[in-house]
Amino acid sequence: MDASIKVNELTKYFDSFLAVNHISFDVEAGEIFCFLGPNRAGKTTTMRMLTNLSRPSEGKATILGMDTVRDSLAIKAVVGIVPEASNVFFELTTVANLTFTGALYGMRKKNIAARADELVRLLDLENHRKKKSVELSLGLRRRLTIAMSLMHDPRVVFLDEPTSGLDVESSRLIRDIIQDLYRKGVTVFITTHNMEEANQLCHRIAVINRGDLIAVDTPERLKQAATEAQAIEISFDRAMGDEEEKGLWRLPCVSDVRPLGDKYHLVTSDPPCVLEAIYPFMSERGLKPISVNTFGPSLEDVFVKLTAKSEDVASNE
Amino acid sequence: MSDTTAAARKPMAWDGLRKAWAISSKDMKIYYFQPAVLMFGLVFPVAIFFAFMIGRNVKAVNLFPGLIALTLFFSTTTVAPFSVPWEKMNRTFERLLFAPVSMVDAVLGKVMSASLFGLVICLFPLAIGLIFFGSHIADYGALVLALLLGNLCMATMGMLISTVNADTPPKVMMVLNVVRLPLMFISGIFIAIPALPLYGRVLSWFSPVSYCADMLYKGLGFKDYFGVLTSSLMLVAFTAAMFVASVLRMKAWNR
Repeated sequence: MDASIKVNELTKYFDSFLAVNHISFDVEAGEIFCFLGPNRAGKTTTMRMLTNLSRPSEGKATILGMDTVRDSLAIKAVVGIVPEASNVFFELTTVANLTFTGALYGMRKKNIAARADELVRLLDLENHRKKKSVELSLGLRRRLTIAMSLMHDPRVVFLDEPTSGLDVESSRLIRDIIQDLYRKGVTVFITTHNMEEANQLCHRIAVINRGDLIAVDTPERLKQAATEAQAIEISFDRAMGDEEEKGLWRLPCVSDVRPLGDKYHLVTSDPPCVLEAIYPFMSERGLKPISVNTFGPSLEDVFVKLTAKSEDVASNE
Repeated sequence: MSDTTAAARKPMAWDGLRKAWAISSKDMKIYYFQPAVLMFGLVFPVAIFFAFMIGRNVKAVNLFPGLIALTLFFSTTTVAPFSVPWEKMNRTFERLLFAPVSMVDAVLGKVMSASLFGLVICLFPLAIGLIFFGSHIADYGALVLALLLGNLCMATMGMLISTVNADTPPKVMMVLNVVRLPLMFISGIFIAIPALPLYGRVLSWFSPVSYCADMLYKGLGFKDYFGVLTSSLMLVAFTAAMFVASVLRMKAWNR
């Protein structure tokens, strides 16, 4: 499969501050690629360089074979951008915002009207067509921002924290739209700090921290990097006393015990070893299990591990 | 490369004009043709003008070229300098940067809306002068050139002001007043340029408003100072220089 986005040694300095440090990666055509990192990691700066809203200090990137700096206008014609802040024109109605966006992309009037209708339906904005954007809720404004980015039927879509701060209904709708774009063969580039979202949506994830790209892989392969962070979740038929709780710590192969409401997370790198030991532990104390579940490492565990490692390297240097 | 991307790489002038017009229409809808802005565009220059003219023994008909010049100057430079910083603050200006719109088209769109607004507004004092105060048009060519080139030039000045180290509307207001107030007095608005003292006449060469006011005097039957050709060329030169400066500033700002 061809790469839609190729990034080679991309670097950004803000005066002496190194925001993005010589990062390189490819995004395949038609994949959903996530850029995961904490705040100020360099996610948005990278996205702004890829969309030529900001010039790289060093390195280069291409989108659909075109150079992001030299072919900026040509790239903008085929790329849709959803910024973190919903930057709609408050004074314009939903339809007027879409119409204006269509005109900026040089679309014909007839096509603008048809596409605006289609997007209003797709993003469930039909009851808000004639409302000024200032009257829309945060979630509706976000949907309108996404609709504006899709007006010209882009081949590559960049979304910066697409569901940040939204209600469940809007978040779910936006995730559905992203899946829909994928089914249509659109390349989707998402920056997020939401692990669950990255886990659910992305085919591959790039983890960035303090401007350094520290891993690029599929969610499942990334999780394998943190096998020591697997867990057995168990709940009992009665509350445990302090001494009984301390007993959990003494079980073989358990590296951490995390009480979570009426359950316990027994962190381990060897779940069968813990399971083997937990049943004698319960029968000795007259405990009965209500539920026992095994959990693989979460993306959050992977993220914590990878970012901690990169910070150790940075501090040693 | 696909047809779409090849076409997008070399946008045609017509395509650029359509995009500029879209920006202009949006600005007119949002900023200009609002009742409060229209009233302000008319009332403010009239109030300033009469504040300086009341008590002076001048015939009303002699006031109109200056009043029209002041209306034109204020109406084109009142809203334009704020629209870009306002949009930068709300991040809606990024909408233009996301799209395949060149900075030239974006600046042109902003200038077009301001100059159209100025044109509409300055027709009011012109009509009042012609209908009620006995003004007459002596040179249609000079009058039309003054209105068209003057509006375009002042609107470009407004655009340039919006890019001068001013990322928020209050900062723009300060820059705007520092530029506008001195220009009012050296541009033949309150006193026609031939009647200014020597230093006033010398300074008037440096103000684009002078050339517009001078052609308005000529158009409404008064003696001019620079001549229509010089005034027209100077307005075109000022417009071109300020347009290029605005585009460069906007590009630098964006980087």
